[in-house]
Amino acid sequence: MSSALVLLSLVVFLPSVGALALAFFPRKSEDASRWFALATTVVTFLLTAWMAIPGDGKSAQFQLGVAEMQNVFNVSWLPSFGVQYYMGVDGISFPLVLLTTFLSVLAMGAAWPIAKHVKGYCILFLLLETGMLGAFVALDFFLFFIFWEVMLLPMYFLIGIWGGPRREYAAIKFFLYTMLGGVCMVVALLALYFNSDVTKLIGKLSPAEWRATHLLDAYDSRIDAAVTGDARTFKAVELMQADIASGAATEHTFNILAMQQLGQKTDAFDAVLLGGKSIQWWAFVLLFIGFVIKVPSVPFHTWLPDAHVEAPTPISMILAGVLLKLGGYGLIRICYPICPDAAHDLAYFVVTIGVVSMIYGAFAALNQKDFKRLVAYSSVSHMGYVVAGLGVWSAAAATGYDADYWKMGMNGAMFQMIAHGISSAGMFFMVGVLYDRVHHRNLNEFGGLFAKMPVYCCLAWVIFLAGVGLPGLCGFIGEACVTLSVWKFSPVLAVVTAFTVILTAGYILWAFQRVYLGAEYKGPHEEALVPSTWRERAIGATLVAAAILFGVLPYQTVFRYMTPSVDKVVADLVAWQRRDDAVAPAAAMAGASTEPEAATPAANAVSANE
Amino acid sequence: MDLASTLPTLLGAAWLLPLASFVIVWLFGPRLGHAGKHAGYVATGAILGSFVLALIALLSWTGKHGVFVEAHHDESHAGAPTAPPRSESSPSKSPVQFRLVAAAAEGEHADYAHYDHEGKAYYTGDWYTLAKFGKLQLTIGYYIDSLTVVMFCMVTLIASCIHFYAQGYMHDELHDVEDHEVTLSDGHHLHRRGRYHRFFQYLSLFCFSMLGVVLSGNMAMTFVFWELVGVCSYFLIGFYIERKSASTAANKAFIVNRVGDFGMLIGMMALWSSLGTFNFGDMAVEDAASGETRSQAGIFSQVRPGPSHELVVPEGMKQAAAATGSEDTERCGYWLLVIAGVGIFCGCVGKSAQFPLHTWLPDAMEGPTPVSALVHSATMVAAGVYLAGRFYPVFAPEALLVIAVIGCITLFIAATIAITAVDIKRVLAYSTVSQLGYMMFALGVGGWVAGMMHLVTHAFFKSLLFMCSGSVIHAVHTNDMTKMGGLRKKMPWTAYTMLVGCLAIAGAGIPFLVGFSGYYSKDAIIAQAIAYKEVNPLWGVTLFVAAGGAATTAFYMFRLWYMTFSGQPRDAHKYDHAHESPKVMYYPLVVLSVFAIAVAWPITIVGDAAEGSPLVHLLNQAVPDGVGSMEGAVRGTLAASVAIPSEHASHVDAIHSAATMLAFSTALGGFLLATLFYGWKYLDPAEVRNQFPQVYRFLWNKWWFDELYDALFVKPAHLLAAVAAWLDKNVLDRIIDGSAKVTLVASRYDDWFDRLFVDGLVNWFGRWTYGVGLAFRRLQTGSVRQYAMFVVLGTVVLFFLLSLFLGTAVGR
Repeated sequence: MSSALVLLSLVVFLPSVGALALAFFPRKSEDASRWFALATTVVTFLLTAWMAIPGDGKSAQFQLGVAEMQNVFNVSWLPSFGVQYYMGVDGISFPLVLLTTFLSVLAMGAAWPIAKHVKGYCILFLLLETGMLGAFVALDFFLFFIFWEVMLLPMYFLIGIWGGPRREYAAIKFFLYTMLGGVCMVVALLALYFNSDVTKLIGKLSPAEWRATHLLDAYDSRIDAAVTGDARTFKAVELMQADIASGAATEHTFNILAMQQLGQKTDAFDAVLLGGKSIQWWAFVLLFIGFVIKVPSVPFHTWLPDAHVEAPTPISMILAGVLLKLGGYGLIRICYPICPDAAHDLAYFVVTIGVVSMIYGAFAALNQKDFKRLVAYSSVSHMGYVVAGLGVWSAAAATGYDADYWKMGMNGAMFQMIAHGISSAGMFFMVGVLYDRVHHRNLNEFGGLFAKMPVYCCLAWVIFLAGVGLPGLCGFIGEACVTLSVWKFSPVLAVVTAFTVILTAGYILWAFQRVYLGAEYKGPHEEALVPSTWRERAIGATLVAAAILFGVLPYQTVFRYMTPSVDKVVADLVAWQRRDDAVAPAAAMAGASTEPEAATPAANAVSANE
Repeated sequence: MDLASTLPTLLGAAWLLPLASFVIVWLFGPRLGHAGKHAGYVATGAILGSFVLALIALLSWTGKHGVFVEAHHDESHAGAPTAPPRSESSPSKSPVQFRLVAAAAEGEHADYAHYDHEGKAYYTGDWYTLAKFGKLQLTIGYYIDSLTVVMFCMVTLIASCIHFYAQGYMHDELHDVEDHEVTLSDGHHLHRRGRYHRFFQYLSLFCFSMLGVVLSGNMAMTFVFWELVGVCSYFLIGFYIERKSASTAANKAFIVNRVGDFGMLIGMMALWSSLGTFNFGDMAVEDAASGETRSQAGIFSQVRPGPSHELVVPEGMKQAAAATGSEDTERCGYWLLVIAGVGIFCGCVGKSAQFPLHTWLPDAMEGPTPVSALVHSATMVAAGVYLAGRFYPVFAPEALLVIAVIGCITLFIAATIAITAVDIKRVLAYSTVSQLGYMMFALGVGGWVAGMMHLVTHAFFKSLLFMCSGSVIHAVHTNDMTKMGGLRKKMPWTAYTMLVGCLAIAGAGIPFLVGFSGYYSKDAIIAQAIAYKEVNPLWGVTLFVAAGGAATTAFYMFRLWYMTFSGQPRDAHKYDHAHESPKVMYYPLVVLSVFAIAVAWPITIVGDAAEGSPLVHLLNQAVPDGVGSMEGAVRGTLAASVAIPSEHASHVDAIHSAATMLAFSTALGGFLLATLFYGWKYLDPAEVRNQFPQVYRFLWNKWWFDELYDALFVKPAHLLAAVAAWLDKNVLDRIIDGSAKVTLVASRYDDWFDRLFVDGLVNWFGRWTYGVGLAFRRLQTGSVRQYAMFVVLGTVVLFFLLSLFLGTAVGR
């Protein structure tokens, strides 16, 4: 327990400790600041990389095949509100944590050309890393929200100070959009919090499930060591109930895992709130808006092109590589499990949003003249796969609750997040390399780069093909899994999804032709087009290697970590669906042929009356 | 020697060798010898190694399964000689019954566990898993039957020849190159460094991808390598990256292929979500729960369950139909089957450049000629036909009708365009499109063996023809046939090997006796078309189109040969500089012409004297279950008028001799017409041209397809893109910026309100307080006596008030 506390806290706060240390650096020491910040990101990366070596559960290394949270710790923070310093990783968050630390190293490496207020840049960058990592590992909704907002400020300044000519507009736009998302989220957060009631879980959860929520961790110390096994859990539940009854503890909780159980197994969020819709319906909608602003999906996407165009290269890398992933992560961690009823209700809406983003982003990308804007729109298109893949709720009573295709879609969506992290960060980096040289991004004023920068162009080619979704590179697996899973949900949407492959090839290859191929360079500052430096090659080659590795060995690199946890999310939701169908009489008729299976055997349920 | 383990090993190694070469050349290319010269050796060595391995695989296959199949029309023809007797006695729920011959039982690696099936002989298994979701699995595996082995040999052999040839052809790339097709803005030609190693790097990747398609054990893997083939062609067509035309052609090839892939994805989704597997063959899977090995039915045996192997609507498709709430699940499921078949075929349409996606192939001539030879014969375009052949069991009669009609249209359109083309490579390109149309047509009318055989024979003579044309271009530095002529004196090797190619593609032969390879395959196709006409009077017109296409083929091929090699040189300057190509280039031509002549010959290698060539017999071993064993014609469910004749029907003597005569006479007709125009020059082509100017213009402009597609698809796509971008800028951003403005205005009013009322109130209060303060200040006189008086007065007043209020209070 305590090792997890130390390790995860270290991972999350090491960058901010580095930022603190940087604050005492002398003003002029630019190179020292860069190297120090880079070293901090490298150490953080190495820590998480060590965690990625499959372990046996005894050490803090990641244990394969475990769907539940690992390395969890839960320390009381603001007890009167039930806010906890509560973190852990599972197959969903861990790959994203690793992606974050990995891209942070590369983005710090890509920040070398930044010459303005280097120290300040490094400090903000490291704070940003803390925010991102914290949001991925936080299991307390309040904590999650704090990290979510912590990300926002450094990002605002990083775009607003180090950005391009319209940086203030872009920064404000980014800030307002994300704030809007934040407001939606906080409303949903409070609604869920004040309707949560952990005592409703009593009688609904098995001892193992109780343990998995980590609600009882605080009570363990008060129980005699002689009491072990299930009895210990029962005892802890009793203590908790007593504390709540006496007012020593609150029945409300920010515990995300407990909220998931409340959403799936109790009626805590089912009360009608507004317009005939339940609390969880409204919470879902608000959270969904908050998260798809981050993804971003059409129609909440217009901050992205501006933010990307104005942001400096490394910030674009982080923005596309990590920040957008928080949207998808929020959907799978919070939206879906806490509000299953609403998610089921709105499944078609969600997938449609995803598919529309795919095709709309692709069309918009086709028309761009600014290279970076094109890549930004490609992000909109590619992240559409994530939303669509998460949403393909294809399990239904008529098919015997066959959830395999949904599992495929959700796994594909999660893979797509990782893959897009590599490919889009790579694409932004490649654009940045050019911008550093010629200071323009007009697609029609490039050409003939192969002769001038052969190594760079070769790397760029691979990265852009990864964006096209070429097999053997990372982009393919996620897109293929999502695309193949959509048909089971809706053939019409599936056809639109499949159509995107044509457009994707169109806009990327066309852009590539205009920028890299051809006989001669057509724009200004031709003399500045010098071959890539070792630093640029190292970053590019690392991304290329990652793209190939993820594309060739998706199971070994990603799925074996990810699948158990993602499958569990799906399985839990489908179990909820079975129970829900069994309750609804009409649906029960349809489901009669398939035996409804009680996911929580009543015999195992812990009851306080025992 | 156990085939179940050796075949995958052999072919797997043959498949991976080019990949190894690709990686080596990619990473160390420029450092391999002077200017990367050794890259050529690495790549050639790798593909030669592959060829040797494939040959060993072929020998081991024939060692186990023999070459010859006993008799065509025996129903159990497909079973290899060693295949076990059918175990029909044990009824089982599983649609296909298996008998474990189990290499696994002998302690072999579990991956090679092999089931001997009651149908045709094949070996399938997985190498590794890409992803696994519940029961669903995406894997990289293999499916090996005799078609796989034959294709491996063919691809590696032709690719080897092309590698050798390319070492000569790409020689210029070893030093700095001046590209005469690219003029810079300063008026000079482009001067650039050679890219010899790059070329071989792509070539290796291309071979690897193509072999992957051939070896693939499931649809997902096929799609993976399918796309890789596409991207390799993109690299190679766009090899001269400085030329705008080349990079545009490369983009076009890739994007048009993606259009096909769009259809293919739909087909794949339909299959995947209803059958739950992508495996072609039946796979041994280990049950995680019980640890038992059981068989998981692949696509083929789900669609055509044994023992009859007749096409049925699989259970999964019926369930999928039921899930949509359909009443008639059988019919709805059948629709799904047709969609799946046509969808997959869409992919083949893209890759094999069939109408309406044929437009990329002629543009693909922008690549170096060895690439054209490879793309047009053994790889890429062959991949489409190969997949159509591999996927044959899934095609319902309706899907086959689509295939036949598309093939027929393609062969006709392409043949007509080839008549007017004067670019030597473009003539060949259109002839390729036309021949691919033949193959598809053959498949569509039920001639599986005929189509596959034409795929193999065509690969040999088309690669030969392309390499000959490359040799000519190498000599005269132009593609334009109107600047050639009389070259056979200068380059006899090229001229006569090319003549062999022309004869082969025209299907020349002495009827009923012997002929070039094309003679056999084309005969088989025509025969099948006749059989098709007999059961399908409605669609019988396709036979005449096919026959007309055969005549046209002979015409334009000999036109090409005459224009290039015979008569008087039209461009004396070019003629004077022409020379025969180096040995490294024309030796491969000789090798290929031997195969172009003899690959389909009915020779007997060992003992067993059966009719037909070893090639046909080998292919016969791979005929999909249920296709070869059809008794009569199979009719469609949705369109009952469509019937697919059994391939045996075309072996009837009457049909066979009619086909032979028809093929012979059309080819001869085409040949004579070409000779009249271009050989003896009795007729003047220019006159004909002037006679029918519209027709000529129509053909010259390739039926206006490019312009049509540009207007129909490219422009609208750009328009939509502009609309999307406009929406973002002018609607969504307007809303955002507008709401920001509204907020600003609101805040201005807020500010005004603040200043006027809130501040006003506060300020008023402040002012008032101040005024009061000022008024009171007057009291501050500084005089002690006055203060004392105030104190006294105040005390009196206080006392008076207190006594008044308190007194009454107390009194109460």
